[in-house]
Amino acid sequence: MTIVADSVEQPVHPKRVAQDSPVRRFARAFIEDRLAVAGLAIFLLIALLAILAPWITPQNPYDLAQLDIMDGGLAPGEASFSGMTYWLGTDPQGRDMLSAIVYGLRISLVVATVSLLCAIAIGIVAGMTAAYFGGRIDSIIMRIVDLQLSFPAILIALILLALLGRGVDKVILALIIVQWAYYARTVRASAIVEIRKDYMDAARCLALSHRRIMFRHLLPNCVPPLIVVGTVQIAQAIALEATLSFLGVGVPITEPSLGLLIANGYDYLLSGRYWVSVFPGIALVVTIVAINLMGDRMRDVLNPRLQK
Amino acid sequence: MTLRTTTLAAAILAVSAHGAAAQELTIGLSSEPTSMDPQFHNLATNTQVRLNIFESLIAQDPLQGLEPSLATKWEALDDTTWRYSLREGVEFHDGTPFTARDVIYSVCRIPLVENSPSSFSIYTQSVTDMRAEDDHTLIIETNGPNPLLPVESSTWAILSADASGAEDTVTFTEDGCEGMGTLPASNDFNSPDVAAGTGPYMLDEFTRGSQIVLTRNEDYWGEAPDWERIVMRPITSAGPRVAALLSGDVDMIESPPIQDLPRLEDANFKVVDSLSNRIIYLHMYHQDHDAPGIEGTNGENPLLDAKVREAISLAINREAIVERIMGGYAEPAGELLPPPMFGTSGRAVDAYDPERAQALLAEAGYEDGFKIVLGTPNDRYINDEQVAQAVAQMLTRIGIETEVDASTASQFFSRRNDQEFPIYMAGWGAASGEMSSPLKSLVASYDPDAGLGVTNPGRYSNPELDSILKEAMVTIDDDKRSQLLQKAESIALDEHGIIPLHYERTAWAMKPGLDYEPRVDQYTLAFEVKDVSDEAQD
Repeated sequence: MTIVADSVEQPVHPKRVAQDSPVRRFARAFIEDRLAVAGLAIFLLIALLAILAPWITPQNPYDLAQLDIMDGGLAPGEASFSGMTYWLGTDPQGRDMLSAIVYGLRISLVVATVSLLCAIAIGIVAGMTAAYFGGRIDSIIMRIVDLQLSFPAILIALILLALLGRGVDKVILALIIVQWAYYARTVRASAIVEIRKDYMDAARCLALSHRRIMFRHLLPNCVPPLIVVGTVQIAQAIALEATLSFLGVGVPITEPSLGLLIANGYDYLLSGRYWVSVFPGIALVVTIVAINLMGDRMRDVLNPRLQK
Repeated sequence: MTLRTTTLAAAILAVSAHGAAAQELTIGLSSEPTSMDPQFHNLATNTQVRLNIFESLIAQDPLQGLEPSLATKWEALDDTTWRYSLREGVEFHDGTPFTARDVIYSVCRIPLVENSPSSFSIYTQSVTDMRAEDDHTLIIETNGPNPLLPVESSTWAILSADASGAEDTVTFTEDGCEGMGTLPASNDFNSPDVAAGTGPYMLDEFTRGSQIVLTRNEDYWGEAPDWERIVMRPITSAGPRVAALLSGDVDMIESPPIQDLPRLEDANFKVVDSLSNRIIYLHMYHQDHDAPGIEGTNGENPLLDAKVREAISLAINREAIVERIMGGYAEPAGELLPPPMFGTSGRAVDAYDPERAQALLAEAGYEDGFKIVLGTPNDRYINDEQVAQAVAQMLTRIGIETEVDASTASQFFSRRNDQEFPIYMAGWGAASGEMSSPLKSLVASYDPDAGLGVTNPGRYSNPELDSILKEAMVTIDDDKRSQLLQKAESIALDEHGIIPLHYERTAWAMKPGLDYEPRVDQYTLAFEVKDVSDEAQD
């Protein structure tokens, strides 16, 4: 990823900025779609909320000493005996739903981002190694990828977590394991195309090290498809984490993420305490839709075939 | 298919064609029996279905008191000899008469059932001899004084020796009986021909995962049940079970989720509930200083200190748990079995006193508290995961920082038995309905060969308690035994070797016009469901 940053910050001639900076060009194309901009704005807002969670929420929902079951099951807008008003109600444990949702978003984003970065890193190394060296190494790596992609991601993650137990770190590990194959395959496909180009022959003639060729010359040209797959995958990672927690194998029950909050409230839907399930559900949907709107637009902009 | 079942099927078709809906009762069960063999699996789910078809010598009433069933009278002739007088004129579903031979055959088969996941043989172990004085008088000898023999004989399902393929004479010997013929396999009981008991209903159909159909035994010796036909459908998820009742797919459901009860009552459904024999408790690791999952104590195990255990008990606001988490469908517990059941002392519930709890922690040298992991199942007891979190809240508030480790029942029980938790929450239902059951399993010193302390993975141990309990187990006199059991229980509770939380209440929900007397053993007995609607008169 540092490589991408390098190419972004390359000093360019001031006069040619408007025409040539790929980032500027990308940004201009991106903002043409108002929905995508809205998605970006919502995503930034959510990210900001998640980062600032400890300072803006009325309660730390993960600190058991701050919870009191006597405040459990309050409806949205109701106040407790202690005088605190719970704008989105409380769950049966007396957890403020507003605080719980913000902290839940935090877990969702952290889990998705960390697992995404690690999976991309592994995917890049595996995919480029396969493409660059070809032959037997390529077959071995790609058969592992094929094998893994032939199982549904949720199934692999469920089995892993059943073995590993609960915990945020374990969920991240499981998500890395189920996601790296997508990136490996994407990187390999674009790298194979690039390798046939002249500049690669030139680099090889200079007798540069394999590592230098792969990471300084080949990788920057394989990045656009990665960004597209990454934005789609980050939404999927959030959904997958929520699913795993909903099924009771994800995060610990005293530190609920959005999926676990929804699962907890599910038991109370018939009895009319809708807020325990519905509000975290809305938060989850909004987050995923916002990211998907951004991802769709990025795919359109970065796809050379769709460019005018 | 035999001629009999064909005619039966035709008869049922005819009945349903006439739309006799009031004569059929459909029940939504929360779990499905693992077999129709009444001696296969010692599991409440199986027992509540088998009691419709197969009876025992003695039955348990809704409060788990003993009442005559196939035996009209039983008495201890001396410390180790019992005489059972059997009911005369009773016929099995296949038309053969019920005699002492059937009882001997049934008891003999119990230890011979193959692949039983949990055998009923724990209830026949003490029997050393059985002989028939005549067709309707049975003498049973035990290997020592066994005051629980009548209770134990209420778990023996009585099979028809003829339908099972026994020889004309069945003789009890300690190492396998004679004249047993070819034993029916457990799967054979899925067929109504083998599943011949004396009960108020006969098995008509058992389709795994779908339904169990029973038809009324018109020659039943006792009071005829209200329904001609019973259909039991396993609906394991609580939500869909409630939905099935609301939509009229089933007439009655067991264990509706307590948070849905107000809504069911608003919709005019009838809800009955009673205290169950199930205690929810906390158990702690007592074995040594090498406790798992405890931090911040310099390698010591604070749970070895009775003051710390008392602090834990005083930190818990049982009233709040009952009211907020259990929706009132529980009762704060001070004992291992709800009073006034046999062997309870009426001891007061530990009061909620967080200040005193903190003082006790300080006295024990833990004024800064410590960290601990609380294990709990998340799908076994009513709102178990929520209760454990509430307990964690309360312990954290007095300084014991508690992390909840929740897992599904199967995982939880194996991890618990591997001693992975320093403290865990679980439940115990006393099948015998008296105090020796929780004492023997939960607080007696670990001795699996003697069947003691088998559910005591924390290895709590008190020699005085052990000796009093052992004395109680061979005392035939009820009053004296009750005294001994109370004394043993008090020892465990005085030093907080186990911490009772609450007794669950069990609820049943049904459409208007039905009635069911709630039972402490949590069984849903179809033949006890009454039709109290006006249509019942026609």
